[in-house]
Amino acid sequence: MMRRSLIAFALSAACAAPVQAANLGDILNQLNNNPDLVNAIGGTVKNLTNANRTIGPQEEQEIGNGLASNMLGAAPLVNDSNLQRYVNDVGVWVASQSGATGINWRFGVIDTNTINSFAMPGGVVFITKGLLAQLHSEAELACVLGHESTHVLRHHHIRAIQSAAGKDALSNALQGVVAYKGNQQAQQIGANLASGFSEVYVRGLDKSDEFEADINGMVLCARAGYNPYALPAVLQTLDALNPQDSNLQMMFSTHPSPRARLDKIDQVVGDRLEPWASGTENTLRFGAATARYTTPAR
Amino acid sequence: MTTQPHLLHRIKPLALGLALCLALAGNALAESGVLIRKSDLKQKPFLDAATTGSVASGSTVTITSRQGAWLQVKSASGQSGWVKLLNVRTSTANSSGSVGGTLGTLGKVITTGSSGTTVTTGVKGLTSGEVTSTHPDPQQLSRLNSYATSSSQAAQSARSANLSRKNVPDISVTSTATSQGGDQ
Repeated sequence: MMRRSLIAFALSAACAAPVQAANLGDILNQLNNNPDLVNAIGGTVKNLTNANRTIGPQEEQEIGNGLASNMLGAAPLVNDSNLQRYVNDVGVWVASQSGATGINWRFGVIDTNTINSFAMPGGVVFITKGLLAQLHSEAELACVLGHESTHVLRHHHIRAIQSAAGKDALSNALQGVVAYKGNQQAQQIGANLASGFSEVYVRGLDKSDEFEADINGMVLCARAGYNPYALPAVLQTLDALNPQDSNLQMMFSTHPSPRARLDKIDQVVGDRLEPWASGTENTLRFGAATARYTTPAR
Repeated sequence: MTTQPHLLHRIKPLALGLALCLALAGNALAESGVLIRKSDLKQKPFLDAATTGSVASGSTVTITSRQGAWLQVKSASGQSGWVKLLNVRTSTANSSGSVGGTLGTLGKVITTGSSGTTVTTGVKGLTSGEVTSTHPDPQQLSRLNSYATSSSQAAQSARSANLSRKNVPDISVTSTATSQGGDQ
């Protein structure tokens, strides 16, 4: 009974838009009194909106898992275990070139024709089947995964969530995390909340974060033995697509245009990675794992 | 195209125009690009390869192949050679505009005004229809976890694919490439 009323309170507060930071704090305090709902996330959410607070690796992973669970509710994994293991092999190889340890990397191809890729705090990276279909080589895949891994490594999403404009998104995210971590009843209510909380749980990043991800993604890609210019090659592919295509809508509205990203790479990287441009373009394993989904090599 | 001359006479001008449009559209899809600066045409895809000519800034080229940091192109005047990939843009839309800007009205986007940040009102990259059906899927999360691989397993797989680690220094996003603005 207590639980139900708490959830009702959270629900009504979440529906009253915009959620103020003070209200969010109240919600979190109430939820923190109910161990069934918040046990697993513990004190994670309580002070999350404090921009000065350091979010630890374990907390990042809890948040990221909740977001990933929601994302997978919208678009499940492509049902192909060979493909999924393959992207993990490539992704972990590229991400590990950062030298960072202790990150629980999990890469997945999700079943949607929209063209995009995502990173979640703590080490989850998704690439859509639609973006995979635009790629021509393992180097291109590796560079895309290097871009997303950089968002994880540099904590871009956590920082965005902690910024003032991210607080509304956070309150919605928390509904999802709580529902995911809670019991069956909470999950059901979480499902009912879908139109409320799922609308605003991932935030577009600052342009500078996207540029940083492009440039460091190229560096990781080069370290992993690939031609790093495969990243601008992907951007050229995207740049050549019809921007009115609905499958591109969200990528183009949440990222700088491919052209602006190419201009930045031109300005910052230029020829500097030329010594590694002779790196690997493609592999047999790329063809074996992705032939069903991709365009022929060019 | 091997259309016989006598057949051409029978094709109505409208149909011919349509065919021409389709051919041009097809050509655009088969990768064409515009040079953003005057670029040397290289005989081979390397910085120190011989220069065989140049292509003017703003000219359109057909991309025939790719290698490393280079694109093999054919200019409108029939010259062929390699130009730097980063000297070429491929936008089909007006090349100077920001795509995101024009899509802002189509996508459900709130621009917050601070530091160029946008906040999406949907899961990035998914259509609104997919978003509204969202609910957490813990089983899918378990599946995702089951495919995870260790860094040593990934390294072994990479070695099997003939990949090896290279020493590449970090690049700061605030730095500027020394060759920027060069006309190669």
